[in-house]
Amino acid sequence: MFLTYSAAIDPVWAWAPYVPDAKVPWNLEKAGHLFRRAAWGGTWSELQAAVKAGPQASIDQLLAGREGLKSFQERVDQLATPLAEGIDELRLRAWWFYVMLNSPHPLLERMTLFWHNHFATSNAKVQDVGRMYKQNRLLRTHALGRFGPMLHEISEDPAMLVWLDTTSNKKGKPNENYARELMELFSLGVGNYTEQDIRQAARAFTGWEIKSDRFHINASDHDDGEKEVFNKRNNFNGHQIVDLCLEKPACAVFLARKLFRYFVSETIAPDDTLLAPVAKRLRDSGYDIGATVGMILRSNLFFSHEVYRTKVKAPVEFAISCIHMLEGRVDSIQLADILDPLGQRLFAPPSVKGWDGGPDWLNSTTMLLRHNLCLALTSTEDRRFYNRCDPVKMIQKNLRSVSTSEVLQFLVDLFLQGQVPDATRSQLSNRLKQLEQQKYPPYWSKEFVQEYQIRSLCHLVMTLPEFQLA
Amino acid sequence: MFTNRRSFLQSTFAGTGLVAYGLSSPTFLTKAAAATPRLDESGSKETILVVVQLTGGNDGLNTVIPFSDPLYAASRPTLKQKPAEIKKLTKDIALHPAMSGLASLWEEQAVSIVQGVGYPNPNQSHFTSMDIWQSARLDGPYSDGWLGRTLGNFKKGAGTGYHLGSKGEASPLALNGPVKCATLSNLTDFELQTRGQSNQDRRNQLKSIEDAAKPGSGSSSPLLDYVQRTATGTFSTVKRLRDLAKDYRPSVPYPANALAERLKLAAQLIQAEVGARIYYVEQDGYDTHSDQAGSHARLLGDLSSALTAFYQDLKANGQHKRVLILTFSEFGRRVKENGSLGTDHGAAAPVILLGGKLKPGLVGAHPKLDKLDDGNLRHHTDFRSIYATILDQWLQVSSKEVLKSGFGTVPIL
Repeated sequence: MFLTYSAAIDPVWAWAPYVPDAKVPWNLEKAGHLFRRAAWGGTWSELQAAVKAGPQASIDQLLAGREGLKSFQERVDQLATPLAEGIDELRLRAWWFYVMLNSPHPLLERMTLFWHNHFATSNAKVQDVGRMYKQNRLLRTHALGRFGPMLHEISEDPAMLVWLDTTSNKKGKPNENYARELMELFSLGVGNYTEQDIRQAARAFTGWEIKSDRFHINASDHDDGEKEVFNKRNNFNGHQIVDLCLEKPACAVFLARKLFRYFVSETIAPDDTLLAPVAKRLRDSGYDIGATVGMILRSNLFFSHEVYRTKVKAPVEFAISCIHMLEGRVDSIQLADILDPLGQRLFAPPSVKGWDGGPDWLNSTTMLLRHNLCLALTSTEDRRFYNRCDPVKMIQKNLRSVSTSEVLQFLVDLFLQGQVPDATRSQLSNRLKQLEQQKYPPYWSKEFVQEYQIRSLCHLVMTLPEFQLA
Repeated sequence: MFTNRRSFLQSTFAGTGLVAYGLSSPTFLTKAAAATPRLDESGSKETILVVVQLTGGNDGLNTVIPFSDPLYAASRPTLKQKPAEIKKLTKDIALHPAMSGLASLWEEQAVSIVQGVGYPNPNQSHFTSMDIWQSARLDGPYSDGWLGRTLGNFKKGAGTGYHLGSKGEASPLALNGPVKCATLSNLTDFELQTRGQSNQDRRNQLKSIEDAAKPGSGSSSPLLDYVQRTATGTFSTVKRLRDLAKDYRPSVPYPANALAERLKLAAQLIQAEVGARIYYVEQDGYDTHSDQAGSHARLLGDLSSALTAFYQDLKANGQHKRVLILTFSEFGRRVKENGSLGTDHGAAAPVILLGGKLKPGLVGAHPKLDKLDDGNLRHHTDFRSIYATILDQWLQVSSKEVLKSGFGTVPIL
């Protein structure tokens, strides 16, 4: 519906590093774009620091994370101990939200989310929160690392073994589920394998099972016979099938396309020519994901006008970034509860294909819920958040003056880096006038009235259509 | 009902704010308004299509069962259904034991079953095959859906459709097209909340939110335009549904399952004459690779009881003759069961239709169990010929326009 094709984009220019100049200057708008795509949006001080530091240093910092990652990880893994013992799913979601909101390495969490969508596994079938948590940890370990080891480990991951029926795949009675999705959704994509490849590969994963909650190969259930996969014949086992997938050139192109959609644009359909340099980087670096993401973030195309606001914020990204930019603190159990109906229930993707995302995130119901969530976050009366998340506090922290017109300008700069059409700007000013002119109860103090106006304006800015886009 | 409907129409126009938009009124809104049936016109009770998607690949062989063929029992040593329990339709064909409701509707002559439905070179990926069924195209890109294109082709201007799903569920590809279809989960919690210090302040707040979301204000990308259209459509739907939710009681009790909830909502919207011609609901869970017996019986039981309640509710309100229900799945399953007491992805499968004004009975023979392709049933009827029949004979939309190619018809209507 929205796709444009990329034939007109020159791949050499596209992936060359962006160097600011008078024509394409580094400014608040670009810093906002970078933080929307590679973090949870930027707070006012983060954006100011990034404008000062320039693109290279800002990207280096996002790729490496801030100080204290190791001790943070240890702390949240400790918090997760009861989860590993299999407490309920809502608490697991709340735990991940806590990590997203507080981690010194936001890009790592965004990539963990990317892989959760790539290796989409649902607790609806796994029915074991502990296993879901362990899979989440596996994804985080490799999120910016190497794809090869991740693909091998996910094949042995107990949650995955249950999710795609590997545990009931036995010699003489093969179950094709895992072999199919390994090729179709995890590594190659439709058109790069045959039905015959799947049937043969399924035999290589026979006997893979879970014993004492760990991966185990049951030799008597394993079919050690000769298989023919991708026109190669051998007594392949499952790991050799994974390697065969990794060796195919289609694998790097498949991943490059997914990374492109995640970081660059949902409205440009990249052809193989445009993706070739990214795929080459993946192959040359031994599928080094961090290096490839770095190449994408540093590129001309990433900072170009063509890809600006060409993504719809996913629900989790939308909510976490709202809270982060408001510099608020929330009860993440409440947040998990509110977020479920927005369409991205973590640990419960709709199918192994994950969430389609893009424009599909938005429909009448989710649009309303997003607006209502913003109201809950910006008003201090909502019993779920109270005043732990308050635009007034955030503004007092960042802005010396508190004239309401300056506050409005600040909100537009913070949330949208000033990028709104003139018509919208005048509608915002009209609303400001209305707020200033209307009567308030006589027992409201001047400060209370002003705080009320600020919260109301903040909610309005967060309901602008532009704010739905990343 | 008459007064309800009048007040609905009034609120529809108030909701779309056509007057306020003047010439810049977005086309999808004017089209939707034009398609709303008019009170002063005969034939305003237009035909309606309800599509029930069985997601995951329904095991057609255990839904519409060729029980007299010895190869059936031989291929399904653990999953075969007992002859004493199946619901026999003819001397050779029976429904799964869990489908007693549907069997009674068969007796009422309200059921048509097309056997052996599929398409050439069947694709066994859930997602590709679902895209093929939903777009009615054998090759990509699967950018729009057959129902979305249908909505854009109604003679009196574009029609509207609703996707009835749980909150946050995406509207299916099938409904993608020039008109934007809303997803509804229920009528009551569909409110844009405000927190104003007075009623006037609340109204002002809502109006600012709505005004700022209007399409075409400023330079706009297709994606931004989409967000604006979605928001604007949302606000008008909110107003419309507030008026609808007031009083509705189903005429028959519905069973307690998610599909029944959605079909009840469909009955409610049909009864309220919201002007939609197409409703789309999904029932997920048919990907039964392992331990199929219990879960498949549960799914078919829910399907059958939900469809039966829906049909009886429509009938009690005299609506059953204008509603046609089409069920489909992206593929059937492998004839021979696998080693995990389940079945793997297959190909051809039956399509079940239901309605008060169709040609009841079986259409086409059950595919032969001894003539398989890679262990899968062969199709003899292209699903697009069922679509074509529905388009030309039920919805009165040219199938050549929608499907971009001529297909034969199937004797279902």
